[in-house]
Amino acid sequence: MMEVHPPHRTLRFLRWFCREDYIDEIEGDLIELFEKRTEESPRKAKRQFTWDVIKSLRLRNIRSFNRYKNSNYIAMFKHSLLIAFRNFKKYQAFSFINVFGLAVAMSVCLLIILMLADQMQFDQFHVKKDRIYRIISQKEAGSLPYATSPEPLADALETKHLVAEKTTQLIMGLGGDATYNEHTQTMRGFFADPAFFDVLSFQLEKGNPEYALQKPNSLIITSEFASRLFGTEDPIGKSVEFNDRGLPHLKISGVDSPPVDWGKFTITGVFKDENLKTHLQFDALLSASTMQSLIRDDKLKDHRNDWDYHFNCYTYVLLDKKKNENELQEALNALAADNYPELEGFEEFNLSPQAIGEITPGPIMSNISSFSLPIEGYYLLAFLAFVVMASACLNYTNLSIARILTRAKEIGVRKVTGASRKNLIIQFLIESVLISFLALLVAIGLLLLIKPAFMGLWVNQYLNFDLQENFTVYFLFAAFALIVGIFAGVFPAFQMSKLMPVKVLNSFNTMRAGKLGLRKILIGLQFVFALFFIVTSILIYDQLKHFLEFEYGFTSENIVNIELQSNDHIITANEFSSVSGVSAISACGYIPATGISYGISLKKEGQDEYESLNRLPVDENYLENLDLKLIAGRNLPPINQSGDKYIIVNEAATKHFGYEQPADIIGKVFEVKKNEKSLEVIGVVKDFRYSLLMIDDEIKPLVLRNQPEEFSYLNLKIASVDLMGTITKLEDKWESLDKVHPFKYQFFDEQLANTNQIFVDLISIIGVFAFLAITIACLGLLGMATYSAERRMKEVSIRKVLGAENYSIAYLLSKEFIKLLAISVLISAPLSYFLNNLWLENFANRVEFGFSTILLGTVILFVLGMLTIGSQTLRASVKNPVDSLKAE
Amino acid sequence: MKETSLGEFEELVLLMVAALHDDAYGVSILENLEEKQGKKVNVSAIHVTLKRLEDKGFVVSRFGGITSNRGGRRKKFYVITALGKSILDKQYSLRTSLYQQIPEISFG
Repeated sequence: MMEVHPPHRTLRFLRWFCREDYIDEIEGDLIELFEKRTEESPRKAKRQFTWDVIKSLRLRNIRSFNRYKNSNYIAMFKHSLLIAFRNFKKYQAFSFINVFGLAVAMSVCLLIILMLADQMQFDQFHVKKDRIYRIISQKEAGSLPYATSPEPLADALETKHLVAEKTTQLIMGLGGDATYNEHTQTMRGFFADPAFFDVLSFQLEKGNPEYALQKPNSLIITSEFASRLFGTEDPIGKSVEFNDRGLPHLKISGVDSPPVDWGKFTITGVFKDENLKTHLQFDALLSASTMQSLIRDDKLKDHRNDWDYHFNCYTYVLLDKKKNENELQEALNALAADNYPELEGFEEFNLSPQAIGEITPGPIMSNISSFSLPIEGYYLLAFLAFVVMASACLNYTNLSIARILTRAKEIGVRKVTGASRKNLIIQFLIESVLISFLALLVAIGLLLLIKPAFMGLWVNQYLNFDLQENFTVYFLFAAFALIVGIFAGVFPAFQMSKLMPVKVLNSFNTMRAGKLGLRKILIGLQFVFALFFIVTSILIYDQLKHFLEFEYGFTSENIVNIELQSNDHIITANEFSSVSGVSAISACGYIPATGISYGISLKKEGQDEYESLNRLPVDENYLENLDLKLIAGRNLPPINQSGDKYIIVNEAATKHFGYEQPADIIGKVFEVKKNEKSLEVIGVVKDFRYSLLMIDDEIKPLVLRNQPEEFSYLNLKIASVDLMGTITKLEDKWESLDKVHPFKYQFFDEQLANTNQIFVDLISIIGVFAFLAITIACLGLLGMATYSAERRMKEVSIRKVLGAENYSIAYLLSKEFIKLLAISVLISAPLSYFLNNLWLENFANRVEFGFSTILLGTVILFVLGMLTIGSQTLRASVKNPVDSLKAE
Repeated sequence: MKETSLGEFEELVLLMVAALHDDAYGVSILENLEEKQGKKVNVSAIHVTLKRLEDKGFVVSRFGGITSNRGGRRKKFYVITALGKSILDKQYSLRTSLYQQIPEISFG
């Protein structure tokens, strides 16, 4: 039989608290009992043993802790603190450098801790969260996964594979205008089945979760939406009219379609307003049973049996209690093997589970249900923060080791009077932890400054961070400070405690600081990082400037884009044309060069293969309005004259289809894939940029087509000088036209500039890190220069007495550091060139990156470095030599 | 002044120590008590009671030899003292005399 031991930890606990003279009896008896009980059931015996130990924890059995009273632990601790404070006061400059350097670096780390602390709370409220998984899909290994999965999946998992206790699906497609009592609100949400409440732990304030999603046309709304639509009225049982406009569940503007009447829905529930942190965001859930009639009436596309359509539905699985994640994965693999091999393009399609707690923060994915910073973003931020934090710790290490000489005597005396190496290490660690906690206080102050700046970043309007300091966060901060203190202090502590007392006390004068070797490398390393950050931020700035000044090939000045929001474009355009100051109006499907594009499959008459091209729906006024040049043929005719049978292509398309001259393609006929309709090319337009600058470098083939049903925007050219006045008039017009939706407009040129906002954010972030890195590196350099100037004061004074000039002395003191700077530049310049080229090469439409950028970075670094060194060496060189020489 | 009273559980343990004579230690007392009483007793309760009895001078203890069982820990044996024996005697005679005063009537 295998030998069974009593629980190790419990035993240790017993030995820790139990009196010496009782331990034999108590432990012996307990073990004897344990051995006897083990023969019956080892598990029970272990439990009983633990219970016995707990019961033995009586006042009588507890050992006396009085021995600590007489020990000098506390006295030594007090002493160490005192010495730390004295050192702190005595070397204020160094202490300031240390505290400030650590604090600056800590503040960004604290910010990241805050962000993570917020994101980690997401979806923690689900009671069964350990068993809830979202099924994600992937077209092929290595491609970007989708958060969505095919609709038939849930059923198959529940009936065929028996791994799921319950499944629930949220199906996209609910987005439009809900009207109650002539009051309309935009409503976005999902179709949901009754199992929603069995799997996820959302609570209803009103209504019964068992029946709320049972019947067709049942609607559950959030309490926030209830107050928007109903005000103070009780919504339960009320019916609302709903017109679907095809709005996506995410709040993206410019995606909508003409309204479709979906009939009346009855409110059966209102969600509790608990301010839950969850990845699911919606205004309302509509019972999934409603889908049937909508599909029957052709108002909703039927994907219920489409294994190849995996873009529309979130599947959540509540795993069976007896199964684990691997079994779920196996079931999914089996399902994929059953359903996909015959489907073209789906040979490598795979499904996998994602634990609900790992959704936020989670990996980058498409079709997400809400925006959040993906985990990759945290890796990047954490890496940057780590580099900066490590630099700051290195500063501490560096300065402490540099001061080893000043403290050598102290260490010697301590050792002679009986301090062990352990005592000394603890003493030095207490010092570093103390410094680290002081830095933490400063860092928390800095955090108050950088938090609003961070929240003001453009991306944060999508990321919904809720950065709240609370007890847990402060606990994390303290733990972090402790780790930083130990990390920074451990190396100097070991170095200093290593000193031999005989050596330091006997021949102090012959002791040298050692070659600057290691410390030089550390400082050099900091400057390597600093230069890298500087170069990177300059480069991103250049790239941004390049984009902002980009020639798109069309006019965007003085054009206002107005969202139609499902209104008829002709009526709206007529109304707006009567406003004074509007000189021209056109309509289009989406705003080019802002990241949206539509597609079309065309084939030349007589050929076999269809080709995918980009398509932009525009009306007949669009070309003129945006100053797009026709280089052959003529403009699109108005739709009522000819119908939708002509297209205009761009130059790239001409070449794509193999025509030398633009005029050659005029009159050629193409077939559209889906409805086999024929389209005749009527004109060729000069190439212009219509895709996002950072995505495509070259201009791809484009088809312009007059399709009024796809128009979402009006483009108004404003001739009036008084832009804002015209806008006000337009807004008045809009309100008389559409009482439901608010007026939404954007200036075209601003809209284009806004597509580059992500770069502004990147520059801000990298710029801050560059600033921190250079600050810390300079602080470190300052410390070393100060120290070295102090150490060589006598030498400097003697040289001066013997007739050395000020400048030669400054040179003497600076020489080492200038060399150091030069070497760092030599290493860092090629490195930052190489690393930055890595990301830049993946980037369409990039700016010139060469010698001048690096040179600029180097000059900045050198100037700052020289100022730092100079401040100390000059001070040393102009000092009166008498001051230092007289005192011996 | 040491208290010389004897609690109910203390009396049971003391009786057990006396009965087991040379083999009275934690586990043996526990097992015999459980067997006689037919209910579970926690070993730590016995330890504490033994200590209390020792304080009161009713038992004395000595350590046994080290064996390979019991995690190498020694047994602590307890023997009843003359004082302990006399208090048991006193208790016994008190109870017997009281018991004999019960009138011979039927109890319904």
